Amino acid sequence: MAVELKQVSVVYGEQYALRRVSLSVARGEFVFLVGATGAGKSTLFKLLYGERRPTEGEVWVLGQPVHRLKPRELPSLRRQMGIVPQDYPLLPRKTVWENVAYGLRAIGYSESAVRQRVAQVLALVGLNEQARQLPSQLSGGEAQRAAIARAIANNPPLLIADEPTANLDPDTSWEIIELLLRINLRGATVIVSTHNRTIVDRACQRVVAIDRGQILSDVPRGGYPVELDRLYASVVL
Amino acid sequence: MIDRLRFVVHETWESLTRNAPMQAAAVSTACIALILLGGAGMALYKLDAAAQALPSRFEVEVFLKMSATCAQALQLQAELQAWQEIERVLLTPREVAWEAQKRQLAADVNLADMPNPLPDKLTVRVRVPEQLPAVAERIKRLPLVDEVIDSRAELQTVLSLSRLVRWIGLGAGGLLLLAALVLIYNTVRLTIFSRQREVRVMALVGATLRSIRLPFILEGMTQGLIGGVLAATITLFAAALLSEYVTEQWVFLRDLPPGLPPVATLVGLPTLGALMGGLCAWWATLRYVRI
Repeated sequence: MAVELKQVSVVYGEQYALRRVSLSVARGEFVFLVGATGAGKSTLFKLLYGERRPTEGEVWVLGQPVHRLKPRELPSLRRQMGIVPQDYPLLPRKTVWENVAYGLRAIGYSESAVRQRVAQVLALVGLNEQARQLPSQLSGGEAQRAAIARAIANNPPLLIADEPTANLDPDTSWEIIELLLRINLRGATVIVSTHNRTIVDRACQRVVAIDRGQILSDVPRGGYPVELDRLYASVVL
Repeated sequence: MIDRLRFVVHETWESLTRNAPMQAAAVSTACIALILLGGAGMALYKLDAAAQALPSRFEVEVFLKMSATCAQALQLQAELQAWQEIERVLLTPREVAWEAQKRQLAADVNLADMPNPLPDKLTVRVRVPEQLPAVAERIKRLPLVDEVIDSRAELQTVLSLSRLVRWIGLGAGGLLLLAALVLIYNTVRLTIFSRQREVRVMALVGATLRSIRLPFILEGMTQGLIGGVLAATITLFAAALLSEYVTEQWVFLRDLPPGLPPVATLVGLPTLGALMGGLCAWWATLRYVRI
């Protein structure tokens, strides 16, 4: 399993952000996590990369018990994950090339390896021509592709993208999802949170719906359209 | 390894070049604090040397009564020389002293016809400086002795100066050092906030806590180091200027052993600055850099 959550709860004060959530994601799977704002998607992601600890339950990622890991053990786990967070996508004073290189340098890649990997990954996300541009010069879709490029620069087996299509028009959103699907086809497990029904419908992948901290339904790949209609009817998006 | 070092140095430079006014405030406060501490240290070292050196020159000057004969003076010299506490006793006969006085004042006054007003003088040196007061008291009570003069006043001056320097230097220097520590801590904290995106990116890509914190610690060390280098330069320059004035005011300080060697100041203050800067920055990163 790439990810396994067993009866996980997260409590903020007296409010449940997640309540007894169990979820398994196999290696190589593509999963959409859908739900309204505040449903618990970001909290679930933070559990996966150890930024938040569960109040109860177990979190296993790539065979490692994240709920038990000490802070000094988190970096080695995160090097096996690509994380596209909702906040702070790119460093504004650095070019696209520097943004992607920054992550690699921070984890000790040599300069020659950095040059090689950045070129490869920018070609993969289609940003070769924008390599020298600053984030402020990019469109929303290009900025998101740059953030994905940085996340996959060290070729992680697991990619987590938190709302990568937020504030993007439908065509650009689909471009981003296509890119994530290509990364998935290359062997990486991909988990994407969104509340964009159109792209979820079109991608035809596994969809997990979450609402008020609980998993309401889990529609397998190809479950479109009957289960998805029921799913959307149950979730306030 | 070189690539990693380059990354750390680059990140440190990025931190240092943000918040220039805060960086300047931290460096200048560290500098002033270190000047006070360094200056106080140098002065205390010199005054301690003075306090150590002066007692070896402490000698009691014993003036005999005018009625004392030469034979009596010689006998008293022999008696005192036998005391255990006394290292040496020199006799200056009144005739010898008068001749010397006449020669010294010959240009201004003609003393040839004047009767000799000077008494015989014994210069008594004790073995241990602490025994001086007791020895002086005992000598005072001897029947042939008219007056005993010792140099305790000089020692008191040195000790008073030493106390003054210690209180002003360590008190004000300590307070300013505390201010410098708080400023460096605050500057590093602000840099951490202003570089929150970089910290977050490094944490998410799997950089270790140590490698995220290191540039900030180096930033604090650099602030302290620059403050220390400035402080050492200013302290040495000021010490050279002041030393001339001080030895003019207190002549007995002129022949003292030299103070701290300049290299000790040049190495000591920057090292102290770098250490305190690094410590503050480390503390700030412990609180504000998490993954």
